[in-house]
Amino acid sequence: MSGWRRAGRMATPVLAVVGVFVLWDLTVRVFDVKPYLVPSPASTFQAIADDWEILRPYTWTTVTETVLGFVLGAVVGFVLAVLMSRWSLVQRVVYPLLVGSQAIPIVAIGFPLVILLGYGLRPKVSIVAFIVFFPVVVNVLDGLANVDRDLLNLAKVMSGRPWRVFLLIELPATVTPLFSALKLGATYAVTGAVLGEWIATTTRGLGNYLLVQNSRLNTDAVYGAVLLLTAIGVSGFLLVLALERLATPWRSRSTARRWRRPTPAGSDVAGPSSEPSVAVTGPVSEDGARGEGDRS
Amino acid sequence: MAPAKLVAERITHRFADTLALHDASLEIPAGAFVSIVGPSGSGKSTLFNVLSGLLEPTSGRVLIDGSEVTGETGHVGYMLQKDLLVPWRTVVGNVVLGAALTRGATDRDEAEARGLAERYGLAGFQDHYPHALSGGMRQRVALMRTLAVHADVLLLDEPFGALDSQTRLEMQQWLLEVWDELDRTVLFVTHDVDEAIFLADRVLVMSPRPGRIAAEIDVSIPRPRRLETLTSPAFMALKRQLLDLLYGQGAA
Repeated sequence: MSGWRRAGRMATPVLAVVGVFVLWDLTVRVFDVKPYLVPSPASTFQAIADDWEILRPYTWTTVTETVLGFVLGAVVGFVLAVLMSRWSLVQRVVYPLLVGSQAIPIVAIGFPLVILLGYGLRPKVSIVAFIVFFPVVVNVLDGLANVDRDLLNLAKVMSGRPWRVFLLIELPATVTPLFSALKLGATYAVTGAVLGEWIATTTRGLGNYLLVQNSRLNTDAVYGAVLLLTAIGVSGFLLVLALERLATPWRSRSTARRWRRPTPAGSDVAGPSSEPSVAVTGPVSEDGARGEGDRS
Repeated sequence: MAPAKLVAERITHRFADTLALHDASLEIPAGAFVSIVGPSGSGKSTLFNVLSGLLEPTSGRVLIDGSEVTGETGHVGYMLQKDLLVPWRTVVGNVVLGAALTRGATDRDEAEARGLAERYGLAGFQDHYPHALSGGMRQRVALMRTLAVHADVLLLDEPFGALDSQTRLEMQQWLLEVWDELDRTVLFVTHDVDEAIFLADRVLVMSPRPGRIAAEIDVSIPRPRRLETLTSPAFMALKRQLLDLLYGQGAA
């Protein structure tokens, strides 16, 4: 029963996508839309298939730009956020600059970037990173600021070492907000790559292909490119989603995965049915009778 | 009379223009279970923050085993009403948190944590994440985490305050059982007069702000204490005495 329910849950989004294609096809047929205005799904897929020899390397280029920029933006954003939370001076200096940087229209900053970095991979990766890093900074910073004060106090009472507290308590608290930012980033990143290709038009990527086919009024090829770009964005999102499930098992599971468990049950020193062992009572047990006269 | 384990000498603490504690002194014998009751705002939590070393008092000294530890952390186990379990650590991971934050948890620490969980009502839940546990189980884990730091003195600040009354009763009996076996010195803050008497050898009553220890009552009800203890004449007499002290003659 639960297997069916699970299968049903997985099938729903797939059915939704299929539904969109069916609706698209019906609209084109029923209203007899001209193929140069809106091609049918079939002719769009045909266009992709016809041009596949060109599209495959182009898609690869765009994917490379997207992934590199995404990773670069995420890493830079994360490191910046950690530095900002550690040193408030860094935060006071950097934060307003970051906010200012996001006010610059991304299209406008593209041209100076191309002048600076040339027509290769670098300006595209930079633009993607520029889009991705900001939500990462903001979310990770929020995550670090929202760590429970009482928990940090408890760590202090335990005489926790600052870097251990940071690694074991503060850093893991950023994982959930980090992934919220990465999910946004995964979908925006493709936009950045396409923008980069439009500005530095010599790149053999999907953005460039889109421009060329559009100027030739090859509507079905344009739609094909759009479909491929969408597929890249959706795949990125799904990949991030899968990584999130792996990285935050405590949100979806009630027990730790077997390989993550510290000591396998049953093979331990103080076994399940052991007597009150030395390990349990520790140093206190040495004078266990202490204070006995004081009770009751 | 056992030697004093924990001593607070004339602790005074001032926040900006509020005097939270004024000459609060106490002396807890080794192995004793002492409750502290008092009206809200009487500085119970401030006192605990001073005793745990989180807060440096304006004046006064804290001694453990005769040596001064004023403003120093790492000498006591501390537990709050909020369980403060780390969501991404399993039960075992949470119990060994003290070791993990200081020197790194060893296999031995983890084996000990498994043993504690096994013995004290969490058998089979060692690898569970906190979100999969009930409120009572979470507080058990929090207490085990406090025990696992091997401090002789445990400061428990309303640890059962957020639990429903039935779970709370179970937890009180469980705590007595643990205390009886592990022989630690416990200082237990509560709002609940019944809870204070039921658990303790002695109840300290704090005055309204500025807080100090206004009275001490010895609880000479024999152990082990059971549910019937709660309705025994000796218990009732102590309860009346305590309510008098807290709310004045008219209220009891």
